Amino acid sequence: MVAASFRVAQDDQDRNHVQLFGQWSLRAPLNDFAKLRKSLQPFFLDNFTKWDLLELEQLDAAGAATLLSGWGNKLNNNVSLKPEHAELFNTLIGLTKQPNKKTTRDWLSPLSSLGEGVLYLIHHFTEFSRLLASLLLEIAYLFRRPQDFPWREFSANVYKSGVNALPVTALLGFMIGIVMGYLMSKQLHAFGADVYIVNILGLSIIRELGPVLMAVLVAGRSGSAMTAQIGVMRVTDEIDALTTMGISRTLRIVLPKVLGLTFVSPLLVLWTSSWALVGGACASNLELGISFRFFFEYLPLVVQPINLTLSLIKGLIFGFVVALVACHFGLRIKPNTESLSNSTTSSVVTAISGVILVNAWFAILTRGIGV
Amino acid sequence: MNEDFIQNTLKNQSHDQEIICDLKNICTEFGDNVVHHNLDLKVKREDIIALVGRSGCGKTTLLRHIIGLTKPLSGKVLLFGENMQTMERVAQRRLMNRFGVLFQQGALFSALSIFDNIAFPLRELKQFDESVIYQLVMHKLTLVELEPRNAELLPAEISGGMIKRVGLARALALEPELLVLDEPTAGLDPDRSHNFIDLVKQLKKSLGLTVIFVTHDMDTLVSLAERVAVLEDKHIIEDCSLQELAKSNHPFVINFFQSIRSRLEGL
Repeated sequence: MVAASFRVAQDDQDRNHVQLFGQWSLRAPLNDFAKLRKSLQPFFLDNFTKWDLLELEQLDAAGAATLLSGWGNKLNNNVSLKPEHAELFNTLIGLTKQPNKKTTRDWLSPLSSLGEGVLYLIHHFTEFSRLLASLLLEIAYLFRRPQDFPWREFSANVYKSGVNALPVTALLGFMIGIVMGYLMSKQLHAFGADVYIVNILGLSIIRELGPVLMAVLVAGRSGSAMTAQIGVMRVTDEIDALTTMGISRTLRIVLPKVLGLTFVSPLLVLWTSSWALVGGACASNLELGISFRFFFEYLPLVVQPINLTLSLIKGLIFGFVVALVACHFGLRIKPNTESLSNSTTSSVVTAISGVILVNAWFAILTRGIGV
Repeated sequence: MNEDFIQNTLKNQSHDQEIICDLKNICTEFGDNVVHHNLDLKVKREDIIALVGRSGCGKTTLLRHIIGLTKPLSGKVLLFGENMQTMERVAQRRLMNRFGVLFQQGALFSALSIFDNIAFPLRELKQFDESVIYQLVMHKLTLVELEPRNAELLPAEISGGMIKRVGLARALALEPELLVLDEPTAGLDPDRSHNFIDLVKQLKKSLGLTVIFVTHDMDTLVSLAERVAVLEDKHIIEDCSLQELAKSNHPFVINFFQSIRSRLEGL
């Protein structure tokens, strides 16, 4: 292994003669072509320099391309080289990058990108409706043939997105309950309206916070997992394998996820809300001296039970939305890593936005009930 | 001058005999499953050696040991006379640039275009500007006989045969001395795999490569391998040319190479 090197001599006419030695190749591990190029730079700039490549031990494409770029991508008479190297140089000259054509500015591009965006959105909506429709068709099919219901997958999904989510939802609900209870008791105490803490906490947690908190958590936890899982199944052709076995992918992959999450979400709402209320009760006990017994006995008197029903229905809808959005984005993943990460992000963002949108719509519809 | 000449010839001789890859007393276990037990293998410069054996006998594992992805339970892997596992980081990286690997599925970066896939190792060197990289990538593409107009496609948009070629071009990007191929012709139709073998042979001749490959395909074996190492019963039981292998009496070899025998007789 002889690293690439060069020697400079001057002839009687004060011209530089650069003689190259060694292995001008990536194979010689000590070569650094950036440094070589830098130290040869003054000779590249001087048009009268003679180059002698006859003593080279080895020249590969990398060495040749570095020299060529110094010579401005052409060979002239100042270079003397071996015939086998000349061939390499000529090949490389043929591969020079054509300068890009200057792109003219397109004034209509904002409009066309807007149009593309709208078309993209419409495409999403049609795909989403198609998925929803095929899901409903599968459910109708299951009424005719109940023995085809994928119980194992269903229960696996209930376990994964429900049971495994219990600790984290409890912790978050409890924390939020404490923070809200603390802040509200400060304010209410200033007005001497201590006892109203139960009304405010009860209504806001049961009706709004519990379901939305649960949905956000589930979208981040289970929604992303579902999208990624379906995506990888697509990448590895597992979904096609299922189809060729005569098993509907909607029935086996989408349906258990959607039904599992829809089934378990109201229970998670109940669980999250309970912990948030416990947190709130703790905070009001510490701040205002309201006893736990009073808090939970007074709660059903001031918060109408219909609110609980509404919150369970919300949980049902949110779980459905999150799972369906997750499956929709999962099935759109193309077999590359970039698409996988994009789709998972979009899935979570869309699910959370969708949940908040549905929540607002629901609030308007039920504005006369329970308050 | 004369002395120089003698030294050169001496060097060239030792060059020919140089052992590029030396496995000594390799033992590998997965749980209770012993895969290799005191396995030895030497690969000389400019050899084309095929590693064969039944499915699941640890060929790919051995290949992964050679390229440093996994470490054997005990034993030494010497590449170019050096033990990669005990080297410091910069030297290790430099050593890794001296071999190129073609994985079974190509292992192209799916988010990068073909051009960027081949340019990736060159860019990582941080020695070339973009115009030089462009020339080098195009040079590698012509080496593996791909059209420059395909350079902007993504790996998901090209056929299996092209993926192998791009993988080969990427493996060759840093002018390696050793080329490691895992099932180079798996998933290619006979015509394409024939072309691919010719390509590897021709590259081997023009670039002076050493090639280690694993294969299950008899055609690939017969037409590419100059030497065959048979991995059976946790050892390399034979390490010789195909013709010599045909004379072997080992029951596994007789069984495994019956089809080869008939092919050789047909030649």
